[in-house]
Amino acid sequence: MFEPFHEVVTNVSKTILEHEKKLSRPIIGVMPAYFPMELIWAAGGYPVQLWGNNLPLEKSDAYLQTYCCSIARSVLELEMRGIAKMVKAYAFTSLCDTLINLREVYRRLFSKPTLELSIPITKTMEARRTYLKSVVQNVTDGLEAITGQKITPDALKDASQLYSRVRALQRNLYQIRREKPGLIKNHDFYTVIKAGFFLPAAVYAQMLEELSGNLEKLEAPNRKRPRLLLSGMVFDPLEIYKLMDEFGVDVVDDDFANGWRTVSKKELQLENLLEGVTKYLFHPAPCCCIYNPDNDRHAYLLNKVKASGADGVLFWYMKFCEPDAFDRPQLIKRLKDENIPTSFVDLELSMANFDAVKTRVSAFCEILEG
Amino acid sequence: MTEFAAFKKMKELLTNYYIEAKTTQEKPIAWITSGAPVEFLYAMDILPIYPENYAAMCAANHQSGELIEAAEAEGFSQDICAYARTDFGADLTQGGPAAGLPPPHFLLCSTNICKTVIKWYEVIARKYDVPLFIVDTPFLHDGLTKELIEYTISQFKDLENFLSDFTGNPFDRERFFEVLYLSREAANYWQKMLYLGKNIPSPFNSLDTFIHLGPIVTLRGTKECVDYYKLLYDEVAERAEKKLASVPGETYRVLWDNLPVWFKMRRLEKFFEEQKTTLVVTTYANSWGGYGNFNLDQTDDVYESVARAYLNVYINIGFEDRIKYLAQLIDEFSLTGFIMHSNRSCKPYSIGMYRLQEELSKLTGKPGVVIEADQNDPRVYSDAQVETRLEAFIESMESVSLN
Repeated sequence: MFEPFHEVVTNVSKTILEHEKKLSRPIIGVMPAYFPMELIWAAGGYPVQLWGNNLPLEKSDAYLQTYCCSIARSVLELEMRGIAKMVKAYAFTSLCDTLINLREVYRRLFSKPTLELSIPITKTMEARRTYLKSVVQNVTDGLEAITGQKITPDALKDASQLYSRVRALQRNLYQIRREKPGLIKNHDFYTVIKAGFFLPAAVYAQMLEELSGNLEKLEAPNRKRPRLLLSGMVFDPLEIYKLMDEFGVDVVDDDFANGWRTVSKKELQLENLLEGVTKYLFHPAPCCCIYNPDNDRHAYLLNKVKASGADGVLFWYMKFCEPDAFDRPQLIKRLKDENIPTSFVDLELSMANFDAVKTRVSAFCEILEG
Repeated sequence: MTEFAAFKKMKELLTNYYIEAKTTQEKPIAWITSGAPVEFLYAMDILPIYPENYAAMCAANHQSGELIEAAEAEGFSQDICAYARTDFGADLTQGGPAAGLPPPHFLLCSTNICKTVIKWYEVIARKYDVPLFIVDTPFLHDGLTKELIEYTISQFKDLENFLSDFTGNPFDRERFFEVLYLSREAANYWQKMLYLGKNIPSPFNSLDTFIHLGPIVTLRGTKECVDYYKLLYDEVAERAEKKLASVPGETYRVLWDNLPVWFKMRRLEKFFEEQKTTLVVTTYANSWGGYGNFNLDQTDDVYESVARAYLNVYINIGFEDRIKYLAQLIDEFSLTGFIMHSNRSCKPYSIGMYRLQEELSKLTGKPGVVIEADQNDPRVYSDAQVETRLEAFIESMESVSLN
């Protein structure tokens, strides 16, 4: 049932190249996070999300220091090694200091076009509106220049519906996982989500529909294992989920930037594109990278734990991600105050040895099992 | 350090500043980032407190290590900015030279130095349950645009409303203009003083300027600040006139990019002196010279010129502009090379630095070196590693030395 998704994730380049050929659309590499894919698709591009990889870092080390996160380093590695040669342009968001400077590094090292969705972080609403309007205009102009195709209202409507359908199907999968813990192996679940980074939306949607259809007929295993909610920026490395499947723990929900924080986004509203993009960026899930005091992370995470039935929260910390690291101590304290057990693991995408992670997660599970 | 008579005056000013901060009963206290528009606060008689400045003082006093460890014991990762960790530690233990900072009534933060400050100030806002006002100044990938200026001006106007609501008094625009004038005066003296480094030999070294940054950071917008930098300028100008060198036998003249290594000032000073190398100019100290560009002659343009100054900060501009600026400094200050401090605690300053080094060397024909260090965390610094790299760099300058 999950094999086609594993196939995609283990053969990313092959998958992308095959679909590029079928689609005849220029591939746009999309950097983390929250760049609306709808805009790229509507402009005639084929968006492929780049959330890092586990390549040994051989070339990128010449330009990115070891204190940059492994997401940035491994994505640069792809381009430097020529593995990303099929990517015609890159779309960034101004999510953090690393990504902002990474765009500048790309501009100095490579000739491929780049554009940035600069996310305004101000409570001065009129200013935010006016500035974001100019940003959205620049982004759409930039995409049109890259693809050579105008974003028509019809194309935008189709794209918006298509990606909305994908996210709705993903949300359905999340719901199945919450309601039937243990039915989907952790490794399978995140492989399914990850496959969506690379597949054309329509193809992915069809695969998700089939999968959901099959899963809905099945019942959850009759057992109670520790139930976890994971919180962090990126759900990789996938290898860890294999370990979690082996020693018996069920992830029932998450708060990943490339997981639920994106999956939960509603259909991009088009009547007023500016309002639509604003809602898309700031709602519904809060993110450590987007300042939004009206959407408090503490209350949000507490509710999420309760709603998911998780026994505890495991912070999935990608080393050197400052926005995530700053939030963690106060979040942990808040959860502890509510008697919610927490733990955290330090991760890098290039890590090959998971012994320490395994020890930490199993120790946490033992605590949860009492 | 080069001995300046003005140093005593600076110590007095900063001591008085911290005494007022710790004892004031009347003035509201705002914690503020080093690149935030402080003039709005002075206009409303609010006392600005700079956690960054305090963190640097702790490190220069060799206290940052223990404070950082206190923050880490509280759960803050070693990966986050060491200024933030130092301040969190000082806040937890009431440590450092002023025994901690007075609690804030609100926070003012601008993103022109990094986005990290948002996270840092969010932590403080939660802890003290105080309002946080952010002036968002997006990165200038392609220079200043009309949209960026308007965006920033709108937030300034909103800041005025916020301050008015907070204090219960109408925003004092007349006083604001006076403060801007004082800021400009101080920044102009500071910049003029830094330009005296163009003299050969240089009458100061940049380690001196790092020490003398205190007032332009913390007291910018006050009369005392203007008076101080006039005093310092006059003294340095006299040294320049007399051709007094900061480093006797100055052979190499280099640029320093990024923040200082605050806990290694003395050792590095001695090292450079032995190597007959003067740090003549820094992108860091120069940053405060930018506030000398306020256009106060035409009222209509005031906000625009303030917005321009706060947006157009070195680490908030694209690499194309950074390279041009660095090359210009290398030329104008007759430099023989440049040092780039890859600073673990400051990603916006450091990420991409290796590429900048390559391009700048190619463009100017001058050697450059990148050293791996940290502004505040002594545990991630290696004397041997840094000095070996610097020695090799200084050797590479032999062919371009002044002699």
